[in-house]
Amino acid sequence: MSDFLDEMEAAVPALRRYARSLTRDADRADDLVQDCLERAIRKRGLWQPTGPLRAWLFRMLLNIHRNDARSRRRRGEHTPLDEMTIEPSTLPSQPGHMALAEVARALDRLPDEQREALLLVVVEGASYADAASILDIPAGTLMSRLGRARAALRTLTGTGEEPRLRTVK
Amino acid sequence: MSAPHNERPNIIVNEEMLLGFADGRLDAAQSAAVEAYLAAHPDRATDVAIWQRQNAALTTLFGPIASEPVPARLNPRRLAAQATAQRWDWTKIAAAVVLLVGVSAGTGWYLRTATWQEEPASDRLIEGAVAAHSLYVKETAHAVEVTADDKAHLVTWLSNRLGRQIDTPDLTKQGFTLVGGRLLPPLAETGTGPAAQFMYQNQTADRLTVYITAAANPPGKPFELYNDDGVEGYYWANTQITCTVIGDLPHAEMQAVAKDVYQQLTWRPDPPARS
Repeated sequence: MSDFLDEMEAAVPALRRYARSLTRDADRADDLVQDCLERAIRKRGLWQPTGPLRAWLFRMLLNIHRNDARSRRRRGEHTPLDEMTIEPSTLPSQPGHMALAEVARALDRLPDEQREALLLVVVEGASYADAASILDIPAGTLMSRLGRARAALRTLTGTGEEPRLRTVK
Repeated sequence: MSAPHNERPNIIVNEEMLLGFADGRLDAAQSAAVEAYLAAHPDRATDVAIWQRQNAALTTLFGPIASEPVPARLNPRRLAAQATAQRWDWTKIAAAVVLLVGVSAGTGWYLRTATWQEEPASDRLIEGAVAAHSLYVKETAHAVEVTADDKAHLVTWLSNRLGRQIDTPDLTKQGFTLVGGRLLPPLAETGTGPAAQFMYQNQTADRLTVYITAAANPPGKPFELYNDDGVEGYYWANTQITCTVIGDLPHAEMQAVAKDVYQQLTWRPDPPARS
């Protein structure tokens, strides 16, 4: 039980990050995480101690987010692009970097399934296998979503025609 | 024998490998193969460079969120403590059960007449549950209308008839498997509509039944106990249903079963959204 709560606590920062990157709304993201944690605590009997708790939490968070997004769409709510909250401090203008605000806007225009997959892999650092499991899709489907997400992001940010450049690695 | 010089195993560089390279998910041999490939394919090298810049942008945008202080309301221990506090109802019931069972052990007891005022709905429902239990547990060929083989149908049918989403509790932990269930007529002056009866059996052919109705009107008492000559009943009601577990197992086993049924029917983590 305390292991369960310890592991859960360790996952909270990443859950908040994923929730905020999906919702682009700090309060709604934390509501989402709280809902996820409460459900996990209620359902902990269903969690096999051998399985990865983190993946289970991410899957639950995503399900709640999707249901939430569905009901918001039904109610006709939407967030105008202008209201997206990007902290000014996270906008360093380093040459050779993509304009972050532009990337953020482009991200919001991706289909949900592509955004969910891309953020899970790139920001959360999930392995392809874990990401496929969290999204409940075959590995091949994950790869094609990632490929399409990248192509769409590139088109939306207008980086298609840029010259070759060295990236720091 | 005379294998050609081939330092690297044959790695075919495809789209997935390029993506994996951009995400840093390849092993050393695969990375080397991709690097060699990119050196010979500048257009693909541009693609990969752009993907890596996408990664850098996304990481810059969202990475720092995980380093922010976590608000207290997202502390799992605090949330777990709150969840426990909200469970006072069952804790209270369990304490009362233990107390009352202890006080009355060894005698046949009628707590409802001895301890509380008459409450028609719960009394009638318990009587109905006991009568149906006694009638059908003796049956061999016709113990249930719909057997557990057809459980999905059984649950859907009885949920529809009761106007409540109900499910068959899983009592395998207690050694009981579902035999099946049946629909029973409404009881007068309860306002509950028809009842569903589920029957369970263990390996030694002991049987118990779970009798469920929609909530009574007026709701009446939240819980009640019954014992008559070794047949015990555990009744409780919430805003949605009433439930009575009937059987003639030893006290401790009956309590464990009743608690399990209560938890499964009351603590539905994700009630099906049918509003």
